[in-house]
Amino acid sequence: MTVRKLVAALAVWFVAITALHLRLNFDWESFLNDSRPEGQRKLNVAYIPVT
Amino acid sequence: MFLPKMFQGFPEIKEALIANRMQAGFLVAPMAIALRSQGVPIKIVYLGHRYGSAFVVATDGPVHSVRDLRGRTIAIPNRFSDERLIVGRALEANGMAEADVKMVEMAPPDVASALSSGAIDAFVMGEPFPSQAEIAGYGRVLFFAKDYWPDYISCVLVVRDDVIERRPEAVQLLVDGIARSGLWLDEKRAHRDYAAEFVGRYYYEQPKQLLDYALTHPLDRVMYTPLSPTKPDFDLIVQLMVKAGLLDKPIAFDEYVDTSFAEKTAGLQAWHFEPAE
Repeated sequence: MTVRKLVAALAVWFVAITALHLRLNFDWESFLNDSRPEGQRKLNVAYIPVT
Repeated sequence: MFLPKMFQGFPEIKEALIANRMQAGFLVAPMAIALRSQGVPIKIVYLGHRYGSAFVVATDGPVHSVRDLRGRTIAIPNRFSDERLIVGRALEANGMAEADVKMVEMAPPDVASALSSGAIDAFVMGEPFPSQAEIAGYGRVLFFAKDYWPDYISCVLVVRDDVIERRPEAVQLLVDGIARSGLWLDEKRAHRDYAAEFVGRYYYEQPKQLLDYALTHPLDRVMYTPLSPTKPDFDLIVQLMVKAGLLDKPIAFDEYVDTSFAEKTAGLQAWHFEPAE
């Protein structure tokens, strides 16, 4: 494998993992909510799965 | 208007409220009172439920009465919890003291394996963990919290002061929603069956059968009315906290409770929603 192919494969791997992480693990709803002006933000309400 | 966020323990919620990552949340009442007394800018605006906690021992174990607990290890969710206070009340009613048992703090999801493996002799937790122990067969309810504490309350809704000041309409909407949901849940069994399904699936990530059991065995195992915070209820909690050494001195009701939102729920009606048969 040439250096160029190796770098390309690593780049594809990096982009794929990053995309999957952003799709599966990143909390977009909270991110977008926190980006809004304070008066328009939804309130974050914490709970635990008890009663 | 709201983003519900699930946590696995009360200390994490406490930290999130202090850091303003959460603007509102459900905490055990003594923890909310203690935080306020330490200057954390939150206030209790409503209750989450009434009753809903039980003291569970091993099914085939040696504990058959509160007096049998002498020298035993009991798991509680947090030392600043109503569950810890109910242990004190039950012991005192049976001529014992907290020093007669060993209390250990444990995250609610961990008590099942701890009891079934014999690492603890008992636990006192909110539902559905007592129900989980009963269904699985390794636990039996020794007593319900309301047996020693009529009108028992545990989880309360707290909101940051800055949100109460700047966005009272959002807080009122949240409180109204909880009030109407409570009225709806207490209307009939079918509503509880339906709630067990959608809460289990979308909020608690727990099996419907477990939540259904917790909500219906018996029907008053957990109650969702009345949920307005009252001074006598909280005076009792503060008194028990001082006695247990969780507070140095009593704190005035108005210091940690804002009743204005609960007062506006008077006259509200249950949600008009009938689950399909």
